[in-house]
Amino acid sequence: MAAVLAGVLFVATLSLLIADIVHQHQGFDRAQSELHTTDRRTAALSARLDQLHHDLGLLVTEVGNDTTALEQDTSQLRGAQWALGLTQASVAQQGTLISSLQTCLGGVEAALNSLAVGNQDQAGAELNAVSSSCTEALAHG
Amino acid sequence: MGEGRARQGRRRLIAVVVLGALVLTAAAWLDVRGHGATRSEQAAVVRAEARLAAVQKEVGTATVAKATMTARRAQLGVSMVTTQIKLGGVSSDLGNTQVHAYLQGVNIKTLQICLGGVQNALDALKFTATAQAAKDITAVSGPCSQLTGGTAAGLVYPFDFPDPSVIEAGGTYYAYATNSVAGNIQIIDSTDLTHWTVVGNALPSLPPWATPNLTWAPSVALIGGRYVLYYAVDPTGSTTECISVATATQPQGPFTDTSGAPLECQNGLGGSIDPSSFIDANGSVFLEWKSGGPGTSRIWSEQLAPSGTSFAPGTSPTLILTPDQSWEGATVEAPDLVEAGGHYDLFFSGNDWNSANYAIGAATCAGPLGPCTDASPNPILTSGRGLAGPGGAAVFVDTSGSFWIAFHAWVPGAVGFPNSRSLYVRRLDLSGPVPAVGGPLPSAGAPAG
Repeated sequence: MAAVLAGVLFVATLSLLIADIVHQHQGFDRAQSELHTTDRRTAALSARLDQLHHDLGLLVTEVGNDTTALEQDTSQLRGAQWALGLTQASVAQQGTLISSLQTCLGGVEAALNSLAVGNQDQAGAELNAVSSSCTEALAHG
Repeated sequence: MGEGRARQGRRRLIAVVVLGALVLTAAAWLDVRGHGATRSEQAAVVRAEARLAAVQKEVGTATVAKATMTARRAQLGVSMVTTQIKLGGVSSDLGNTQVHAYLQGVNIKTLQICLGGVQNALDALKFTATAQAAKDITAVSGPCSQLTGGTAAGLVYPFDFPDPSVIEAGGTYYAYATNSVAGNIQIIDSTDLTHWTVVGNALPSLPPWATPNLTWAPSVALIGGRYVLYYAVDPTGSTTECISVATATQPQGPFTDTSGAPLECQNGLGGSIDPSSFIDANGSVFLEWKSGGPGTSRIWSEQLAPSGTSFAPGTSPTLILTPDQSWEGATVEAPDLVEAGGHYDLFFSGNDWNSANYAIGAATCAGPLGPCTDASPNPILTSGRGLAGPGGAAVFVDTSGSFWIAFHAWVPGAVGFPNSRSLYVRRLDLSGPVPAVGGPLPSAGAPAG
């Protein structure tokens, strides 16, 4: 009777141990599978991260270059705007001078034509009429 | 015997028990080992997942950074495009303004140079130094030409210089024209056809029968080793124009007229004017001129003696052209005959000389004595941009053998104004059936020096 009980106990214990061993094997396999999956995902993500870092590096360089170029363009724009302002002022000043010169020249030419036909009095009057323009033009020319 | 069996049974029992214990021990060992391996693997999984999470976080951070940088770059790109567009606009405005300023600067400088010369001339005129006044004006002819706006049309001398005649001698071009403040017959010279300088008065004195200040339309040619000047002049006490002749040993004169009477008058036809000499390929010399006025004008030709100072014995005027085209307005005048490539082209002016309708036409002639027929029903040069009322054409050949046409015209806006028909010079193409007036020299009107 004791032997039978011992045998049953033995078989039961052995069965439990075997079942647990099988269970541990299954757990080990699942963990190993999970580990492989995680490693693959990590590797893929690492590759993506490397690519991102590479792209980011390029972008940083390009943004730096673009920033420099923009600063240069902005500086050039300011210079051009400044030169434009100066030139426009100069043109306006020249326009005034040209107007005086043309008025003066018109009178002088008229006077010369009068002289050519012997009318000195008329020539004198025509010159006097533009004398202020001539004086202004010659003074500022 | 029974004891032996019992002992053997115990031994078997002990063996079974030992064996069972060994089996259980082995199973337990395997179980414990399996537990350890599983825990170790699970710990590795946890670590791997943690690493994965960290990488995922880094990827997230990098992705955000990339998106930020991309947005920044896009923003910079927009800013750059905007700035470049602005820069382009401002640069364009600046360029246009600088061109405007430059042109204005040229105008100012040109005006000042022209004005300076005119003022000097006025100062000279105050002291009745007309020759000096003419030189002062001539010195600024280029700038004044630019101001009058006719340079693109061939304006080279922006002062009164009507009915021109141009010859070349020793690489210098001499131009002669109707009387002005410079004298009875004006002379100017040039080495480039663009910049002209006053030489003076070609005909300082007139013959006793001629009326002073009524001398027009000269024509000069080298005939028999002398320079022969034909010109129109009113005899004293007459209002009918006649033609006379003077000679000189050099192109710049002075020409001397020793005649006791005009060479040609045609009083019955309303007078003779606009003489122009022509030397044929065989050396024969001819004179073409115009008789009459509006409605009665005719163009004639007659052979001259070898000296050029008289008509050939036994000859008489031959009518070679009458007005027959509507544009001519019943007037043809200012003839100039040219031979090129074996054919004769007669250039003439038509319509009212004192209007913008005045123009230059061409006829084809069988020979120096005609007959001549219009090369085209239309004139070859009319009023246009930079010139008005062109006429008084004179054809000449430059040092390279190319043909040119000199003529007078008003600058637009000055039509009919006294003493203001200026000298123009343009290229001339005689290769086709109708002469074609070309463009001016590129530097026409540019300031000298």
